[in-house]
Amino acid sequence: MNLPTFVLKNALRNRRRALLTIISVAISCGLLVTLLTLQRELTIPPESEAASLRIIARNKVSLAQPLPAKQLAVIERIPGIVAVTPFTFFGGNFRDETVTSFAQFAVDPKRFQGLLVEGKIVDGSYDAFVADRTSCLVGADTMKRYGLKIGDRMKFTGTFFPVDLDLKILAVFQGTVDDRGVFFHHKLLDELNGDPGTVGTWYMRVESAEVSNEVIARVNAAFENTAAEVRAETERAFQMGFVSMLGNVKMLVMLISGAVVFTLMLVTISTMSMAIRERFRELAVLKALGFQRRELFAFILAESFGLAVVGAVVGIGGAWGLWTHLDLQKLTSGFLLYFEVTPRIMAWGAAVAAVMGLVSAIPPAVETARMSVTEGLKTLD
Amino acid sequence: MAAEPIVAIRELSKVYQQGEINVTALNEVSVDIHEGEFVVLMGPSGSGKSTLLHIIAGIDRATKGSVLVQGINVANLNESELADWRNQNVGFVFQSFNLIPVLTAAENVELPLLLTSLGRAERRRQVALALELVGLGDRGHHRPDQMSGGQQQRVAIARALVTDPTLIVADEPTGNLDAKSASDVLTILQSLSRVSKKTVIMVTHDPKAAHFGTRSLHLEKGEIVAD
Repeated sequence: MNLPTFVLKNALRNRRRALLTIISVAISCGLLVTLLTLQRELTIPPESEAASLRIIARNKVSLAQPLPAKQLAVIERIPGIVAVTPFTFFGGNFRDETVTSFAQFAVDPKRFQGLLVEGKIVDGSYDAFVADRTSCLVGADTMKRYGLKIGDRMKFTGTFFPVDLDLKILAVFQGTVDDRGVFFHHKLLDELNGDPGTVGTWYMRVESAEVSNEVIARVNAAFENTAAEVRAETERAFQMGFVSMLGNVKMLVMLISGAVVFTLMLVTISTMSMAIRERFRELAVLKALGFQRRELFAFILAESFGLAVVGAVVGIGGAWGLWTHLDLQKLTSGFLLYFEVTPRIMAWGAAVAAVMGLVSAIPPAVETARMSVTEGLKTLD
Repeated sequence: MAAEPIVAIRELSKVYQQGEINVTALNEVSVDIHEGEFVVLMGPSGSGKSTLLHIIAGIDRATKGSVLVQGINVANLNESELADWRNQNVGFVFQSFNLIPVLTAAENVELPLLLTSLGRAERRRQVALALELVGLGDRGHHRPDQMSGGQQQRVAIARALVTDPTLIVADEPTGNLDAKSASDVLTILQSLSRVSKKTVIMVTHDPKAAHFGTRSLHLEKGEIVAD
């Protein structure tokens, strides 16, 4: 026998309790990892290198207010902008769906090609999409999810606009951070709406990330004191604006995560205290035999830490396995897109479990250190 | 009998505080115990015999006076030094055996050796020897719950002597045993004293058990009234 064997035998002496402790730590860690993943999913928009080059300009009053289409001529001449397209959110429902998880945007197909930097056409032809006013460009994820193929038609019922769309799929893209969107001709939307001469937003690409702030200032300045002042911002800032509409999700998730961690701590401290208390006499005997305080603390810590680590491995591994292999996009109708349990999140879960293992060892260790041999022997004799 | 005592106790007092009342457990006790003696501490409950045993064994501290074991004043050792000293010099036998239930007999006996620098093979050899000495050479792989009370106490004796200590202290070692098992245990302790020249100090209420010792100290109200 050696000391690790001794610790292991002690940790497993009450197998049911050890198992229940491991399960409670596993569930708590799994829940914590899930909450952190959810927080990441909700608060961090997908990022790509190309996204840092893109700018979105909307009406300064509100996103719901359209912008005059004639602004295009001014924007085009602003130095630093290499591509610009009207970009209008249609917000229709696909087929019979009441909530459609992928967005549809009206764009100028020729101009939009200059913004689709990281996306590649994997089926059909971009030229065919440009040539046919009633066609659409569809993300590969949406094609797969609905079992669509080139030539199929996509019908949308308008919710923001009082018109419906009937589009023919002529191109499929893949490789962007969100391969779900549907893009169609702005001209078609204009026609259906009686050519109002407006766009939802302007979508631009700048020549380099270094000039993006400068370009944003120029775009804003260009329409200052006009009837339609704009607010230009980076694609990321624009997406974060949508996130803020969800309320303080981060705070809410942090509060729930905090409650989970606190409960986990109480469970492990309580379990370790019970486990040590019922062994008070044995610990007193070990002291009598010559074991020092530091050795007894090491026993308690190893046991507590060991149970926490096993629980963490089960919980974090379980959460990773579950969320990696479950088609959450399908299950949540596209609400959760990636739900990626990143190494950073797993490290957080493991760190919390490790700290819990350490913290929960302290109260029983202090109690044991304070106990004299004679007291320990008398207590349970 | 050696001229120099193994244990030299001088004017030893122990006062406990119970609330606002001071309770004197030992009052100016002085006594010498020599190598190979089997000293039996007797007396009524509360007479201070267990307190005296605990102080000699270094698991309790005196309020006043000194305890020299092989010339070392136990009272001067700090917590850590005392733990090391106990491991090297004292073997404990308790009334309720106090074996670790999840360990086998051999593993229980091996416990004090884990604190020494002995290698695994040497530890096993010592454990086998100690178990053989108490007549349990073939029960090393049994857990305490698979053994009788007498056998468990013999394992506890093996654990006490495996480090080859100077002193073996036994606090009512036969209190939980039937007559036959008690006799077996006392015979082993007697043999350790007679043959191995170990100094054994035992607390007991049982006058029959006292007959196994070489010397009886009778305590009353914290004082030795008969030697």
